[in-house]
Amino acid sequence: MATVRVALRVSSTDVLSTALDVSVASNLLADSGSLIKAKVKGTAADTDDLVIYKANDKLESAYLYIRNLDEKKENYIFVRNETESNTALVAKIGGGEFAFIPVAVDMTYQCIATKVNTIVEYGVFGLDNSSVTLA
Amino acid sequence: MATTTATLTLSSADLTGDVLSLSAASTLTEAGNLTGLDQTTGVSKKVLAAASTTTTLIDADDYPSGPAKNHRFFLRNASTTASEYITVTVDAQAIGRLYAGDFLFMPYHNEDGTHDIKVTTPSGQTNTPIEFILIHQS
Repeated sequence: MATVRVALRVSSTDVLSTALDVSVASNLLADSGSLIKAKVKGTAADTDDLVIYKANDKLESAYLYIRNLDEKKENYIFVRNETESNTALVAKIGGGEFAFIPVAVDMTYQCIATKVNTIVEYGVFGLDNSSVTLA
Repeated sequence: MATTTATLTLSSADLTGDVLSLSAASTLTEAGNLTGLDQTTGVSKKVLAAASTTTTLIDADDYPSGPAKNHRFFLRNASTTASEYITVTVDAQAIGRLYAGDFLFMPYHNEDGTHDIKVTTPSGQTNTPIEFILIHQS
């Protein structure tokens, strides 16, 4: 079993009258995963979507890191739960922003963007289901 | 205008033959511009007392909605029992399970004012502690 460690710090000195400083870390249960950089071609559901997680590729639990590498805040990527519906929006991520979320392991997640060929970086980490191939 | 930053690091020395070590940082701003988010729920701690129960953490009605809104949400399952998890949904869409000690951080686009954030405890699991914070715009 490999160790994948994830840590997050959210901090501000002025959003409250007292300092906000949340630091958390966790070792994920993972034996598989990879970091991928790709272009999102599609701008509408079911047309050139980028598949970022295929249903049942992982067992029990899995976590998705995804970052929109576009420089403009208004150029969004949309992470969709394709298994549920074309309008099942999980996250709308602006340029330069990221998300770290669990995925429902039995559902497929896809990504579209407001701009053709928006570049994203993503990875899904968890326990591999050897019965499912990505092909 | 407030300045709030979020930094995520992801690392592994043994997942593959190539060491994984990445850091992603973001200053939390409003949708489509560089104005910092200036409102927050603060860090909230809650104990989900009952099993098989769905609890609304963020009621979408209470926060600004529309395509030009971009809030951020952090949630952590603070349980120390490895097998304990909570299931997270946004606007009834399954996000996934958060196991003990694990967390999520994500943009929260309350597009149409219906995007409640809810958590559900499984059967037989009681007194699950969680922490969450919403940082949002006007």
